[in-house]
Amino acid sequence: MTSKPRVCVAIEPDLIAVATGEAPPPAAERVEDHVAQCRSCRDDFERYRAIDVAVGSLRATAPPPDDIEAARQRLIARLADLKTRIVSYRAFESPLGRILIGSSEHGVALVEYLGDGGVAGSRLFRMTGVEPHEDGAELERLGRELLDYLAGRRTRLDWALDLRAARSDFERAVLEAAAAVPYGAVESYRGIAGDLGKPEAVRAVAQALRHNPLPIVVPCHRIIGSGGDLVGYAGNRLGLKEQLLAVEGVPTLHERTPRIARRSLYHYEPNPSREYCLPTCGDIARRPIGMLFSSRAQAEAKGLVPCRDCHPDLYPLPQ
Amino acid sequence: MMPGRVSIRAMGETAFDTIVATHHGEIFRYLRRIAWRAGEADDLSQETFLRAYRAWPRLTPDANVRAWLFTIATNVYRNHVRSEKRRQAAHATVRATGRELDLNGPEEEAVADETRALTQAAIRQLPLKQRLAFTLRKLHELDYEAIGQSLECSPDSARAHVFQALRKIRTTLNGYALPQTESTR
Repeated sequence: MTSKPRVCVAIEPDLIAVATGEAPPPAAERVEDHVAQCRSCRDDFERYRAIDVAVGSLRATAPPPDDIEAARQRLIARLADLKTRIVSYRAFESPLGRILIGSSEHGVALVEYLGDGGVAGSRLFRMTGVEPHEDGAELERLGRELLDYLAGRRTRLDWALDLRAARSDFERAVLEAAAAVPYGAVESYRGIAGDLGKPEAVRAVAQALRHNPLPIVVPCHRIIGSGGDLVGYAGNRLGLKEQLLAVEGVPTLHERTPRIARRSLYHYEPNPSREYCLPTCGDIARRPIGMLFSSRAQAEAKGLVPCRDCHPDLYPLPQ
Repeated sequence: MMPGRVSIRAMGETAFDTIVATHHGEIFRYLRRIAWRAGEADDLSQETFLRAYRAWPRLTPDANVRAWLFTIATNVYRNHVRSEKRRQAAHATVRATGRELDLNGPEEEAVADETRALTQAAIRQLPLKQRLAFTLRKLHELDYEAIGQSLECSPDSARAHVFQALRKIRTTLNGYALPQTESTR
């Protein structure tokens, strides 16, 4: 190829830009003036125009809509599969130490007190069928609500829950029964077993709660021994259990082991007329614990009525 | 009964479904244009949206979703090309077509369609970055900012790639008669 005049070389970028619709009007004028007098550049310009027109028609051509739709359906199926596997997580500092929250598309799947291993030691990474994703924004709100809860500024965590980490239907049933124990109340393992219609399964209930993947949210801290002992929590961190109960206004005593202060709480043990009692009603405070409430309102919210013998409605416990 | 059933992800899920509904067709067409085989576009577009879904929680609310998807698609494609190259030197056969343009359209098609086929073949012969920049600019009309983001270069370099691509296409088509356009005086 012969070398072009310098003026042609200089105007070439503008020429291409004008021919392919990339240039502002001033460039268009310059190019127009030039091609009017330069044969070779006029040819180039025409070829670029022709290419631009061809490209325009390529732009308008698309694969058959059926192909696109089929590809989209395959994508939607794969996305659905991925969505079920993804659990986003984030760790938060709290008064109870570092806590990890993991959440899937179905709801919160994991709440975990992190140990020395930190996030890397989380059981999230050992759960099968889970793709863990560190995530900021989405879990921010959950973390904030959890902190509010631990500070006593909030009494409910109305979170959708994903019970995938529960290992059996029985465990799931235990977690659901524990989740039904209201704020400020406690129930015994034995009481939960009774609720599930399996009074003999007290140990199995305790085992299931030991594996609770959602502590705090599924309030296994509200489940205690039938004698009032706090019994295991998060390994053996009874202090955490005590703190959580204290936030809810459930008093504890420090004897040999931390115990619920039964005599400061309203008592309920299953009876046909669903009456709840003062701790001084007969020997109820010496019998195995069913459920205990820190206020009458909580008991009555559960559909219970004041006992007609001890009259907690007339002689309420001091707050 | 479990406590509240308000799904925290519910709103987000819907938003990503909307992203798929809005952009899948175009991303698929883009990958179909740049991929060598039609079947690849299917896999590559799935890969693009699965990656997008994973990265999506970290996307800022004011981000340009379309440009972001094109960036992911471009990365997915470039990774694919890299691994393809590693796996097989089969691309050599495609490249070896050299100066002869490989037209697979029927001979009797109108001149305009022939120009289109020639242009398409010329685009296919472009070096990767020019081909991608050209496709993003001329076939999907992205701005140079977005193209630079996709190709990890400045908007100016992106523009330079497109112009270089146009020069190459013109040179490739030099031996072929192109139709006169309306601007001919």
